[in-house]
Parts: sequence; structure tokens; C-alpha cells
Amino acid sequence: MNWKKLLKMAGIVSLALMITIIPLLSAGCAGTEEKTLKAGFSICYTGVAAEKGRPMGNAKLDCMKYINEELGGVAGYQIEVIWRDNQYDAAKAATIINELIAADCLMFTTNSSKMMASSMEIANRAEFPGFAVFSSPVCTHPPQHIYAQMPDYGDDWAAFAKYYLENIWQGEGRPKMALHLLNNPTGYGAQDAALVLADELGIDIVAIDEHTATTTNEIESLTRIKGLNPDILYISSTPQPTSIIVKNAVELGMYPGITIGCGHASLTSVLIELAGADTEGVYGVYPTVNWGDDVPAMAKMTEYCQEYHPEDYGNMDYVTSWAEGLIVAEILRLAIENVGIDNLTPQAIEEYGFQKLDNFDVGGLHGPVTYTSGDNRLSKSVRVFQILDGEITPITGWVEAPLIPYEFE
Amino acid sequence: MDLPAGTRNYTYAQDMAIFRTKTHWAMLLALLVILFTAPLYWGNHWLSVANLIGITIIAATGLNILTGYCGQLSIGHAGFIAVGAYTSAVLTNRLELPFIVGLLAAGIIAGLIGLIFGTPSVRVKGFYLAISTIAAQFILIWVINHWTSVTGGFRGISVPPASIGGMIFVSQSSQFYLILVITVLVVFLAKNLARTRVGRAFVAIRDNDLAAEVMGINLFRYKLLAFFIGCFLAGIAGSLLAHWIGFLNAENFSIMDSILYIGIIIIGGLGTTTGPIFGVIFIRMLQQGITFIAPVLESTFALPAGFTTGIGPMVFGLAIVLFLILEPRGLAHRWQLFKASYRLWPFSY
Repeated sequence: MNWKKLLKMAGIVSLALMITIIPLLSAGCAGTEEKTLKAGFSICYTGVAAEKGRPMGNAKLDCMKYINEELGGVAGYQIEVIWRDNQYDAAKAATIINELIAADCLMFTTNSSKMMASSMEIANRAEFPGFAVFSSPVCTHPPQHIYAQMPDYGDDWAAFAKYYLENIWQGEGRPKMALHLLNNPTGYGAQDAALVLADELGIDIVAIDEHTATTTNEIESLTRIKGLNPDILYISSTPQPTSIIVKNAVELGMYPGITIGCGHASLTSVLIELAGADTEGVYGVYPTVNWGDDVPAMAKMTEYCQEYHPEDYGNMDYVTSWAEGLIVAEILRLAIENVGIDNLTPQAIEEYGFQKLDNFDVGGLHGPVTYTSGDNRLSKSVRVFQILDGEITPITGWVEAPLIPYEFE
Repeated sequence: MDLPAGTRNYTYAQDMAIFRTKTHWAMLLALLVILFTAPLYWGNHWLSVANLIGITIIAATGLNILTGYCGQLSIGHAGFIAVGAYTSAVLTNRLELPFIVGLLAAGIIAGLIGLIFGTPSVRVKGFYLAISTIAAQFILIWVINHWTSVTGGFRGISVPPASIGGMIFVSQSSQFYLILVITVLVVFLAKNLARTRVGRAFVAIRDNDLAAEVMGINLFRYKLLAFFIGCFLAGIAGSLLAHWIGFLNAENFSIMDSILYIGIIIIGGLGTTTGPIFGVIFIRMLQQGITFIAPVLESTFALPAGFTTGIGPMVFGLAIVLFLILEPRGLAHRWQLFKASYRLWPFSY
């Protein structure tokens, strides 16, 4: 055999070996046989939603560290975290959910409704349970294997609308509301609820405008809205675009003068940092307690945040995802208690973990977590906040968010 | 075709053959065997990555025909992929038509829409054409978002799994075979197209459209044909993407994706059949590598949570810049140099 033939053979064999070895390497080494509880996190750490994804990712990983190191894991078993940065990219999210299924994770979570929308069909087909921290109604209607940690963007709208009618509106007839929505499920989840409930509640929707996550100016859309003389401007978006809209509304002389309310994805300390004093008096709906509130989980969460991510202190998204970590642990604990460590599968986690959640208080960080048949929202309570003196201040107690009868195809 | 020293062509058939020597055939067979047996030893995750790579290759091949061969710069490719994806989703979900109808309709509708947006190419070129194709991106996505009764609008639309004759492609491995077969067919088609009269007309238009017209090439016809073929393949890729992800939202087809496709064919090598393949594999594997390495670095060096997340954007940007400086003709050119060196080995220049 001459050198050239030998080289050809070596080339073919090398190619075959390389292609074969890649997946074997990804499978990792067997190692010791100590059992762990695998949980997968698909986090939008980078990309256009990083302003929310980063503090949320930090919080859930900090919470996992706390559970594993201080609490000794769940029922004596460490939680093995597999986290991936989905970059807020749908195709990336689809490969990540496949990776988490292949890695034998027991469950998964993701931050946003968009990332859940990109993962949920694959997860539903594989009966792989997971929940989204922030979700749109489309993620849980009809209910399958995907859950929502908190009330969705539609519930925010409904809660705010009721609060407005009962506590703020003093005019004659029906108030006029304009919706300014992020051009994705975060924004249009609010529209879904408005279309179902506005008439029944007695609110006229006079404008539905949209914006992008990277918007830098909304003067044009707000000028159009201003011409319709709305009483309320409701924004369902993320903090950066919300800050632009609020600032532009002030520039146009719309605000103060009308009421501005926003959904929970908008209402974080980042909104105040970006829009400053212009946000004074803005209302918002949020499903967690505030920083510094006297609830059992606050001290430990604050300790970890200040030690590992002081830049996130005051950010409501950190609170939300710390609670997410506690819920993951509770789901795993319930499943172990019900079926034992040796029988844990994603299906068992769903049936004996997710669906056994009953009044779990999440250290008081948000409303109690309960599974109700036919309603895949785990927590069903929100609170109304107002920005007062530069602080996000709660102005109500917990408000129940009843299931809205959506009829999606 | 460059052949190893001592290998000569004696017939036209030999001269035209894509796979000319026994080594070519052996390499092709080995590659096909490896690919078609891949589900046996690749896990779910790597199969899903391979599926994404296959879909991206189809779309990038379409853009390469349009931009690489015919020289018509399009920055609206993701919009045409979206048209294909939504066409297939609407036909299979709302009208419950078979997947194969959705797939073909996706290609045809995207191709026809491409013809509409390609019409300005007769009058404008270069940056001006780029701007008109950017308009296509925005207009198409706007229509998809606001034609709620058909597309589901911002809420999105779910897409059933692909199925052909009772065979349902739900698992990653079954989808892998579907996508692989279509990808191989598309690459084969693109390779042959480049060698036909049409392909040569595309290249002539790209190199000098005035000279091409003087030689008798109908610019209007061939430019629009390039748009149709490029967008047809984008539509096919969109259909496969829709059935692979299972749920569509127009946000999945952003202008950044259109720019990414341009980057892919530049990195791979414009105007070559292998260019899109190399470009796609490079970009997608780089993305996977970065996704995988960030958590590993954090756990290995006990870094604070989230510390490594800046690596992704930095490495990605750096790789593209270095590539443009060091290998502007793309990976396909590097592959050609490697093959030339191999043919002369051990007596290289």
C-alpha cells in the first residue's frame, strides 16, 4: 500500500471517528454513580432580552447554589443544573430543548413566553414538563405539559383594568384605553385578554399600537394615540421599550394627564433607571413581593444577591427567578416523596411533582403555588404597584387572577 | 475539474462527471453511510443540531444561487423563509392538507413572492437592490404579524409534525432523514444548476451584466429566475423549519437572521456549491460550542453565575472579523487549496 492510499484510508477513518466521537463526548463520562436530579434551564442571558434574562439567570443559578450547598439539595440529592444561553433565538431554543431531553433532564424552565413558544411543541410531543417564568396565554391554552410560574400577560391586563375601574376612574361613561404592545407574545398576550374582557368590564379599546424590543422612538405612534384622547395607556413590554414610551409620552405632554399602566415584564428597577423621574406615578402589575418586604425567603435571597450579583439588587426579575428555583426544588421534592428517587421520570415529575403542588408559599415571594386541573398557571395572584418617589411601591394586596376563557385554535 | 496527476478524461461524460475517480466515489459513499447511520450513534441533541444545519444549508444554498452566482444581493432572505414557513403551517394546520403539499406550496409561494420583490433588480443593483430587499423583509413580516386570521399574528401558529403516506416525522431521528434527503437533493440541484446554461448565465450577469446582455442573455428573465430559485429554496427551508420547531412566531425571522445568512455565504465562499455547507457548519457549530463552553468554564473555574455569557457575542464577532481579514474567499477556497495540495502530495510546490 503506497502512502497516498494510506493517507486516503486514514482520512476516511479519521472523519468517521470524528463524527462518531462528537456525540459520545457530549454524553460525558459515567463517573461515580451518585444520583442527582437533573434540571435544565434555557436562559436568555444574551440577546435583545438580556436586560431581563441576565438577572433571572443569575437568580436561578444562585438559588440552585443555595439549595445544593446550604440545604444539601432536595431530599438529600443534589440538583444537577444544565443551563444554556438561548440568546433569545428560536432555533437555538429548539436545539436546547432537544439537548435537555437527550440529557435525561427531569424538567426544564425558561424565562420568556417567546422562548417557551419555541420550545413547547417539542416538549409537548416528548411529554417533557417545564414552566415559563413569564408567559403568554398561548403557552398554557390549551393546557398540555407546559406550565406558567405566574399569571400571564393577559392576567396582568385584567387585574390592572379591574383596579383602574374600581380605584382610579372617576369620569363619565366608559374609559378609553390605548394598548402599546411589544410585537411578540409578551405584548399580544395583553391584547388577547383585552379582546375577551374589555367589553364586559366596560372599557373601550381605542388604539392598539405595537413596538419592537429595540425601539428608540415612539413619538409617531404616541402622537397618533394622543389624537384619540385615551384615559389610559397600557404597555405590555419589557423595560427598555417601556422606558422609551413613557419618556416620549412625557415629551408629548400626554403624561401626566392620563394613567399609564404596564404589565409585569415592564416593571423592574431597570425601567426607573432608564426613564428616571418620568416614571413617577406609573402603575404596574407584578406577581411578586418587593425587595425588602418582610417575607421568609427575603433574607437569604438578599444575602446571595448582594454577595454574588450586587448589580441585580432591587431588580424584580431576580425575585421572580429566585422563586422559580424554589418551585423547581419543591416539584422535585414532591415527586421524590410520591414515587421515590428510583422511579423519577419526566412523566412522574409532571404527575407527582407539578400536579401535586398545593398551596406552596415560595417563601412568601409571590402568591401561593397550586396546580388546578385545567389551569396550568401555578401561581394565580398578582399585586398592583405604583412608582412613587423612584421606588416600585405595592398599593394592593394579592389580587386573584381568574382563568380567562380563551378560545385559541 | 481538477484531477489527480495521471488521471485523464477520454469522454465528455467523464469530463462532466461530478464524481470522477474511485476515491471520489469512496468518499461520497463513506459520507452517505456516516450520515444515514448517524441516528444510531448521535443523541437527540446532536440530531437536532444536524437538523438545524440541514435546514440552514438549504436556505443558504438558495441565497448563494441568488447572491453568490447571480450577484443579486438580498437582505430579506429570512422574510422569504418566513413566507415558506407560514405557507406550510397554514396549509397543514388550518386546511389540513398533506405535508408534501405544504412543502411544495411553501417553495412555490416563496418563489413567486421573490419574483415580486426581485422585479426592482432589473433597474437597480448593489446597495440599491439591497435596500429594496430589506423592504421585503419588513413588509413580509408586517403582513404575517397582522394577517391574524390566517397566520395567528403575534400569537403565533402551531404546526403539526411532517408526515408522508402515514409516516409521521416526530422524532429528531426521523426528521433527520427527511431533512437530510432534501438537503442532499438541493445541494445536488445547486451543483448541477451551476454547470448548466442557466448557471453560466447567472455567473455572466454577476461578473458584468452589460457584457452579459450584449452576449444575448436576457437580464430580466435570468435575474428573476435567480430570485425565484433562491426564494423557492428559502421557502422549502422555511417549511422544514416550521415542522421541525412546531410553533411559529414571526419574531423567529428577524433581519438579523437575514444578515446571518449573508455572513454564512461569505464565510463559506460565495459562488461555490460547497461554500454554504462550510459556512453553515462553521456558524452553527460555533454557536453550539459557545453555548456549551460557557457553563463548563463557570463550573471549572468557580466563576460567578453568568460571568461567561459575554463570551458568545465576543467570539462570534471576532471569528467573523478574523475570517474576513484572513480568508476573504471563504472556507470553500481553503478547501480547494487543501485538495490541490493533496493531489500533488508529497510533491507540492
